This record gives sequence, C-alpha cells and structure tokens, in this order.
Amino acid sequence: MSIQVILALAVFVGAYILIATEKVPRVTVALVAAALMIIIGATDERGIFFSQDSGIDWNVIFLLLGMMIIVGILQQSGVFEFLAIWAAKRAKGRPFVIMVMLVVITAVLSAFLDNVTTVLLIAPVTLLICDRLNVSPVPFLIAEVMASNIGGAATLIGDPPNIIIASRAGLTFNDFIVNMVPIIAILLVVFIGLCWLMFRKQLSFDPTMVARVMALNERETIRDKILLIKSLGVLVLVVTGFILHSVIHLEPAIVALLGAGLLVLITRLENRKIFADVEWQTLLFFAGLFIMVGGLVSLGVIEAVGQAAIEAVGDNFFAAAAGLLLGSAIFSGIIDNIPYVATLAPLVNDLVQAGGPAAEPLWWALALGSDLGGNATAVGASANVVVLGIAMRNGHPISFWTFTKYGLIVTAVTVTLCLPYLWLRYFAGG
Amino acid sequence: MRASDLQSSFPMVGRDTTAVQAARIIAAQDLAGLVIADRAGAPSAVISAVDVLGLMVPGYVVDDMSLAGVLDENAAEEVWDKAGQHTIGDLLDDDGVRKYELVRVDADDTILEVAARMADARAQIALVNGPLGSPAQFVTLPVLMDSIVTFCAPADAAHADA
Repeated sequence: MSIQVILALAVFVGAYILIATEKVPRVTVALVAAALMIIIGATDERGIFFSQDSGIDWNVIFLLLGMMIIVGILQQSGVFEFLAIWAAKRAKGRPFVIMVMLVVITAVLSAFLDNVTTVLLIAPVTLLICDRLNVSPVPFLIAEVMASNIGGAATLIGDPPNIIIASRAGLTFNDFIVNMVPIIAILLVVFIGLCWLMFRKQLSFDPTMVARVMALNERETIRDKILLIKSLGVLVLVVTGFILHSVIHLEPAIVALLGAGLLVLITRLENRKIFADVEWQTLLFFAGLFIMVGGLVSLGVIEAVGQAAIEAVGDNFFAAAAGLLLGSAIFSGIIDNIPYVATLAPLVNDLVQAGGPAAEPLWWALALGSDLGGNATAVGASANVVVLGIAMRNGHPISFWTFTKYGLIVTAVTVTLCLPYLWLRYFAGG
Repeated sequence: MRASDLQSSFPMVGRDTTAVQAARIIAAQDLAGLVIADRAGAPSAVISAVDVLGLMVPGYVVDDMSLAGVLDENAAEEVWDKAGQHTIGDLLDDDGVRKYELVRVDADDTILEVAARMADARAQIALVNGPLGSPAQFVTLPVLMDSIVTFCAPADAAHADA
C-alpha cells in the first residue's frame, strides 16, 4: 500500500469521524477533506469536474438545486398547512385518526419533497393542532418524522441517498416507483400499526376539545392562490417529466432545472424568495463528498475493496443484499446516510457490474437500508435533528433516548420486513 | 458633556420575569429593549422589545406565519393567556434570540466616545461604569441622540444660513 493511499484513507476516515461526531460543521469537513485529497494528489481538476466515476456528480447537485427552488416557492403557497388542518377537521379531533392522516400526508409529501422541508412544514401545524386538542405533540412529531423517512424512500427524489443511487446506477424515476413503492406502502401500513401500539396510551380523546379544532380556519393558510396553482402545476409537470424519462430522454436534473426556471419565470418572485430554501451548504457538502470519495476511486481503493467484496459474495446475491440492507441500516442510524451512500455507491456499482442483472437488487437493498436506518436514532437523519429542535423550541423537548427507543423498534420492524420483500421479489424465482 | 451627564436609571428584568410583565414595562415606558440582570442583580445583557414580543407569540406561529390566520379571536385570547407562562429565562436560553452584550462606558467618557462605542456595538443602551454597589446607571440611545442633535443644531443653522 503506497503512502498516497495511506494518506487518502487517513483523510477519509478522519472526515467520517468528524462528520459522525458533528464537532465541526459537515460542509467544512467535506471541503477540507476534498482539498486534502487534491494536495495528496489523489485527484485533480479533470477528475473533479469531468470524470463520471471519480468526479462531482453534477446530476445529483443540480437535481437537488432544481427541487430546492421548486419546493421553496411551492411552500410559500400554504398548501401543506391547509392539508394538515383540513385532515384534522375531517378526523373530527380524534387524536389517533389525526395522527394517521398526518403520517400519511407526511409520507406522501416526503416522496416528492426532501424530508427536512417536509417536517419543517408539518411540525408547526402539528403543534397548533395538538395545542388545540390539549394533547402532547411529542408522539405526533416522532411519528411524522419517521413517516417522512419511510415515505422519502419511495421515489428517486424523496431522499438524497436515492438521488445518489439513481445517478450512479442509472436508475430512473419509474424504476424507483416500481421497486420501492410496493414495499414502502406495506411499511407505511405496518408503521401505522406500530404507532397504535407505541403511542395509543398518550393519545387521550377529550370531546370538549373538538370544537377548538373545528374552529380552525384552514382557508387562511392559502396566502396566494395564483402562486399555489402555478407552483402545483409546475410540480406536476416536473414529476411527469421524471416519469416520461424513457420518452423525452431528459435526465432528472435537467427536468428539475427546467421546472425551476419555468416557475421562476411565471411567478416573478424576487430573488430572495426564490432562493430562500436553497441549501447552498448542503450542495457544497455533496460536492466535497464526491471529491473525497472520488480520491479513493482514483487511487483504486474502492476497486480493491469491491474486488474483495465480489470474491466474498460469489453468486450469493441474496446474502449480499441482506448484509447490505442490515449493514446500511445500522450505519445510517449512527452516521449521516449521505456520506455513507456516496462511499458505498461505487462499491455496489462494482458488485453489480460483476454480477450482472442478478446483482441489481443490491441497489434496492442499499436504498432501503440507508433510508430506513435513519429512523433508528435521534441523529440518524437530518429531519430527526430538525424536529427535535422544533420540539425543544416550543417547550416539548424530546430526549435522544425517547426518540431512539421508538426509532429502534420502527427500524427493526421495517428493515426486517424488507428481507422477505427482497427475497420474494428478486431471488425466490431464481 | 460627559457620559455621567446623560446617565439615568433604566428598568431591569431578571430570568424569572414573565413575558407579560416585561411587555407591561416596555409598553408603560415606551422602551425599545430591556436590560437583563444576572442572578446577583447586576446588569448583564440587553434584549430587544421585538424579542419579548416573539416570546408572547406561540413558537409554531413564529415558525410558520400562515398559521396565525387560522386561529379565531377566542383562540387568540387563549394564546395571550399562555404567553404569561413564558419567562425572560426562556428567551435567554433560546439560541435563536440575539442577546446583545452590554456596552460599558466610563462616567468621564465624552459623547463622541459613547456614540462610537454604541454605534460600533449597534447598541441602544450603554451601562455607565460606577462605584461598586451603586445603582446601575445607563445612557440610552434617545438621550444620546438628543444631546448630539443639541450640539449639531447651531452648525445646522449656520449651514442653512450659508
């Protein structure tokens, strides 16, 4: 092993530790690690900007940018708050029915918006509804963030790891719909049952509070009807563009950018509002990660590990998928699933290239494990951290262990259910 | 003219002061902010009146302003009742609220020195250092501005005549 490889591995491991411990902002870690990879000579400008294997994945960066712009404009319409209050009123103030409706709304929204945006939209209105019902919002907030992590796994755009997997594996929006939606729908039904078991004792129903919920005027949340129509129209067009990929031959990133451009053009909002929800730090974090992992790819480290994995797996791809699913769930519960998937994606790519179509389910195992594993602990996903912060600010603190005791149950059940799905769907016939 | 010529007493609140009590003080004396006393009763920081207002509004409405409209008048009354439960301590513990460090000036500092320090710190109030154990005295922005305007007035008049 050369000095260059040892240094690159040291940078990589050091960056992972710093990202996991959150002592330093993750974007700083990723960018410094990327710079060190360049200084070591592990990569160069050609590798960084133009290589499909070891460079920045521009499809991922621009798909995220486009969706952030679209969602940022759409959320200003107030439609999500309208939906949540409407649902609470349809449930006639019964806490568990409200929880089920909010869980379903959150999961469906998460399939099309990023999870952090979804919980940022749903948490305040949940606090309002719980305030009116005079019940603790803690079970609702925990259920919603978990529903967000489950629902986000359903589509290509629902969770950043899926975007990375889709780009690296060449998978389309429809591939995700066909392969992920069935299991996610099952998991959502099971999750609602788990909510009943875990939270039913905390959901006392007081009929005298119903009138307070029914008095909420959801129409007041719609601030700009024209904006709502325009932004929903563009979102429908963008999703249609994703679905018609095989016909129009446009990459998801291009579809999202075209949609964002169209929305900017027809809404004519000021720049401050258009770019308010673009998380530039997240985009830079992704760029830094791609350079850091690209350094290992350029030096042949990933290929060597991939070769070892190919020999270890042989043709037992179900065992590999099970290991990848469980390992990804455990890792993603402890560390950010984005750097995890950014590192694993080239490795899985090597396995799939060597194994052919029989090994393709490994991508779904990686996606399911890394997406669902985020529920395991309070720090397993960015959305969890955001919800804990909102709960704390509003006087309903949720401790790390309170979240984690529910998270471990939900993760164990949902990930375990993925095993028979993978077996029946991809391996039982062979 | 020195800082000691501009100084006056200023209401201070502690961690246990409720949002409603703080709001009453602000409203009664038309203040732009409040001085926070530490546990020993010594002035330690300044918060703006807007942050006290934020303390009275439910956090979920601050996070998502579209929710303010969905509550009717009866619900709003309950909201104000609940506001009384929050204290200045909650505000100090909130990382999202900016706590201004108290600007300190000496009693013999000139108006220019006081103005420079307050402008640099973007402070609306400055604590005048005094003898240990004496009541805290402050220079406020309106009093300081009034003094500056008084000094500037003759020059302005001369400029206008020219």
